[in-house]
Amino acid sequence: MEQKRIAIYGKGGIGKSSTASNVAAACADEGYKVMIIGCDPKSDSSITLLGGKRIPTILDLLRQKIDVKEEDIVFDGYKGVKCVEVGGPEPGIGCAGRGIIVAIQRLKKVCKSIDDMDLIIYDVPGDIVCGGFVAPIRKGLVNEAYILTSGEYMPLYAANNICKGLAKIDTPLSGIICNSRSVTREEEIVRKFSEEIGSKLMAFIPKEQIVQDCERDGFSVLEKAPDSSVAGVYRELAHAIMSNDSSVLPSSLEDERLRELTR
Amino acid sequence: MAEKDISIIHPRPSSIVAALYTLRDLNVDVAILHGPPGCSFKHARLLEEDGIHVVTTALDENGFVFGGREELSTLLGKVNEMFNPKLIGIVGTCVSMIIGEELSEPVKDANLDVPVICVEVHAGYPNNTKGVLIALESACDAGVITDEELERQKVLLKEATNVEKRHGAASKEYLVPSRGDLKYKVAEKIINYLKEGKKCLTIMNAKKETGYMFADITVAINEVAEQLGVSDNVINMANVDDTLGLPRVRHHAISIMNDFREKGIEIHEIIGGMDEYPVTGEKVSELIAEKYSDFDFAVITGVPHAIPMDNLQNMDVISVTNGPRQVHPLKDMGHSNVIVEIDLHPKTLGVSNIVESEFGATMREVVKDMQKTEEA
Repeated sequence: MEQKRIAIYGKGGIGKSSTASNVAAACADEGYKVMIIGCDPKSDSSITLLGGKRIPTILDLLRQKIDVKEEDIVFDGYKGVKCVEVGGPEPGIGCAGRGIIVAIQRLKKVCKSIDDMDLIIYDVPGDIVCGGFVAPIRKGLVNEAYILTSGEYMPLYAANNICKGLAKIDTPLSGIICNSRSVTREEEIVRKFSEEIGSKLMAFIPKEQIVQDCERDGFSVLEKAPDSSVAGVYRELAHAIMSNDSSVLPSSLEDERLRELTR
Repeated sequence: MAEKDISIIHPRPSSIVAALYTLRDLNVDVAILHGPPGCSFKHARLLEEDGIHVVTTALDENGFVFGGREELSTLLGKVNEMFNPKLIGIVGTCVSMIIGEELSEPVKDANLDVPVICVEVHAGYPNNTKGVLIALESACDAGVITDEELERQKVLLKEATNVEKRHGAASKEYLVPSRGDLKYKVAEKIINYLKEGKKCLTIMNAKKETGYMFADITVAINEVAEQLGVSDNVINMANVDDTLGLPRVRHHAISIMNDFREKGIEIHEIIGGMDEYPVTGEKVSELIAEKYSDFDFAVITGVPHAIPMDNLQNMDVISVTNGPRQVHPLKDMGHSNVIVEIDLHPKTLGVSNIVESEFGATMREVVKDMQKTEEA
């Protein structure tokens, strides 16, 4: 099969890292070779795949002028999921965007196992504030983009903006994932939004306390509560992503229409 | 920081400029700097003297904030109309690389029927050879040079970097620039050596086009020797193999050899191509050990610090460089005199004949004066 290299976009705090790590775990359960690359300076994309432990980030090591090798930055997590964190400068200092560019260039250079993967997930920061933050896409590293949103106005507003951005850089959208915040008519709203921008709803992940509980303990739901119903939802999402072969250049909605949808 | 790296504080050549010169060697017709208007100004001007067009997207504060995709694609269209180029190069700058500009997108936007080499380079590399390397890799990606040539160049660049670390501009944390020894004093010394019947090795180990001027020193010494009737005491070595390197570099070797021939100067030993100055040292050493170990003095020009001293210990070594910061390292190597040809490089751009050097001119005048004095 062709290697899937996906990026999950969405408003900050909407649950991208949580979704990414649970999807990674579910795919690993299925026997896929998976890598997760955390591109957010707060570097916590892989933490629940590593039993709550943090790994050294690429930029931590580059800061120390270490000649970085694959084994210094790629760590085996749950069921052999390869975990990488880009890291970043301290908040308010230097340039995090340039950091992402430099780190993924280095990763590309030293990481041989990247070619063997079935699925690579780039967990990107919520706000694409500068050129560096879209580097994974523009350097040709990502071939599918997903957007995570809830049915609330602000996350949908962000999702709509991301659609504009993707269209601008000629990157097709493979689907919308709803991470529920338990607002009324949520699934319907997000489904409608997905259709109107020309895409489709991949999954509706219900808001369940068990996701938070597992995360607090440092685990994915798939590892800590594999029999929970939400674990089943992640499995279905993983399956949908791995078998998805359609994507579109998304259109975007007028703000007026967006408000109407969420009213 | 790795323990062997030192923190060098004197300003050094930039990788952006190195990439520009490499594009010139690849015979691009236009080089576009994607960045602020003043970036690499001085060298951009020099390269225009060398026959290529250099232009800039002139990114301003707005460009820094909003990116310059449109500026670059518009400029591509404009230069295509103005200069009708066959090959275009785009060079990144610190600003455009920090803000994450993607050079290939504007190329797609402009949709020209001309091959474009995109060099994603900034000036923040400790060795400027990195700029050459990135330019060559990009040229290889664009199909302008072969994999074999790229591999050959990689070896040369690695050695060039090592040469600078051993005895060159990257050998010390701070190097004081110097104008070197007085030319007429050293000219007198060389002429007296020749008069005394001492045997002389001239070793021209020049970097590419700088050879147009360093060759003049070989010419001057041979002229002086002829006037003194001691031509047979001079052996000439030069890195003028015209079968090696990028097309432009081979052309320099051909032109310089033509001039040598016209002036009746025999090059007894060809020690490599004009881009091989970092790796000729070993060959020179071997040749000296085999044939010339009884010579009395050597005049080394170009990149003298690439020639090891092992087999030169018994000779008086005089060197000619164009780098004011190279004087002290060369004296430290054991060279008794070091001459600096100030502003050599600008005078060797846009030429295809040997150009007179100050030191060559000085030798020619000093020998006249000395002969007049003797006659009187």
